[in-house]
Amino acid sequence: MLGGLNTRVMLEYLPEIWQGFLSTLWLSAAGFLGAMALGVLACALAIQPLRWLRAPAVAYVDVIRATPLLAQLYFLYFGLPRLGIVLPEMLIGIIALSLNSGAYMAEIIRSGILSIPRGQVEAGMSTGLGYMQRMRLIVLPQALRATVSPVIGQTIVLVKDSSLLSLISVVELTRAGQRIAIDRFMPVEGLVATALGYLVLYYALKSAAGAWSARNALPGRG
Amino acid sequence: MGKEARMIEFSGVNKWFGPLHVLNDISLTVGKGEVVVVCGPSGSGKSTLIRCVNGLEPFQQGRLVVDGTDLSNRRALRALRMEVGFVFQSFNLYPHKTALENVTLAPIHVRGLNRTEAEARGRALLEKVGLGDKMGNYPHQLSGGQQQRVAIARSLCMQPKVMLFDEPTSALDPEMINEVLDVMVGLAREGMTMMVVTHEMGFARKVADRVIFMDRGAIVETAPPETFFTAPLHARTRDFLGKILHH
Ligand SMILES: Nc1ncnc2c1ncn2[C@@H]1O[C@H](COP(=O)(O)OP(=O)(O)OP(=O)(O)O)[C@@H](O)[C@H]1O
Ligand SMILES: [Mg+2]
Repeated sequence: MLGGLNTRVMLEYLPEIWQGFLSTLWLSAAGFLGAMALGVLACALAIQPLRWLRAPAVAYVDVIRATPLLAQLYFLYFGLPRLGIVLPEMLIGIIALSLNSGAYMAEIIRSGILSIPRGQVEAGMSTGLGYMQRMRLIVLPQALRATVSPVIGQTIVLVKDSSLLSLISVVELTRAGQRIAIDRFMPVEGLVATALGYLVLYYALKSAAGAWSARNALPGRG
Repeated sequence: MGKEARMIEFSGVNKWFGPLHVLNDISLTVGKGEVVVVCGPSGSGKSTLIRCVNGLEPFQQGRLVVDGTDLSNRRALRALRMEVGFVFQSFNLYPHKTALENVTLAPIHVRGLNRTEAEARGRALLEKVGLGDKMGNYPHQLSGGQQQRVAIARSLCMQPKVMLFDEPTSALDPEMINEVLDVMVGLAREGMTMMVVTHEMGFARKVADRVIFMDRGAIVETAPPETFFTAPLHARTRDFLGKILHH
């Protein structure tokens, strides 16, 4: 079947695919930044001792994890205008991606922090280090190290999830591929072109993860 | 004992973990320069007792004054912890820092020493505990005994007035126990005030001024080592000594 691919048509649509690829790239980058900001914030709130600050962070993570991204996306797309907030589709898409991945990022960062043995924190306390110093000098450097691989994993998910934005008519890689399907009735060509774009992004992230862990392994270990 | 000569003073301290009465009316005074060994069966509250001294455990009743600071004043806790070193059974070194960085972290960030001063102090201490050649090693590149000596140096680098030890040798292989005990004996002989939870009775005989026996959250018996080992008053102490000295 792949042997029968109409590569001429695929090449003809290369400019559209390329535009879609760039669009997916930067939607993902924006979503990633938003997700990290939200993730760090939600995690910081979730682990601090005040209950009334913890509750909203926990509720946010729960609601996002319990519902599908598609529902979240439509909720913003149809819900925000009813509140009188009219935003471009692209921005709604970025907000949805950020909110969605942010909840998973929060969980990833939180488990990184919880993976640091309590004894090290107590050792820090016992030498007079304050809460922020213990976080900055002892907990976070190790927790973030433990977090990089799962964060890259979640980013790979985010890149693929950005394809849902095609449903609110944001032009990105998936939608660009659909053009080939619709204009030329060649859905397979469209899908293959799209898949190649995602593969490139996937391998870029995967090799970033590999390079990072090779460089940051503790000396003499793993 | 005059007020100035007291370093640690428990008066009627009680602590509960839920329904469990884990410290039962503890009154105990440790003088400056005194070395007190605490022993007792597992679960008797030894760790809880010394963890109260630097505020790692809060308690519900009674008074505890350490180096003139009342522990009920949680705001004074950080300043107090600068003067009270704590050595854990499981070392608790920072795995992402070298031996020297482990030792200099708090002096730099808490005492405000500059790096050069802190490193000079840290090197001298690591030399002193016999690790002059291991300063650049990470914890996982050190044996248990070496890690525990780094942990001791880490506490000493803050130049504390009191050192607390919670079973510092019980996670170690037998051949490494002495290298750690030797460091502690040296410290005791230099006049450091020490509270040491341990079942190393050789150590107690050598340097302890008093040995305390705890059972079920209470101090059952306190005596100088000679008396403690040869003529314990209580049946429970005799029982316990029988168990730990004959195995
Ligand atoms: N955080 C906690 N919550 C509830 N119970 C606790 C907690 N920490 C300790 N305990 C209980 O308090 C009692 C005293 O514990 P502690 O660790 O002080 O004993 P220990 O004398 O140091 O024992 P070991 O020789 O085994 O170290 C034990 O019964 C223990 O199970
Ligand atoms: Mg204990």
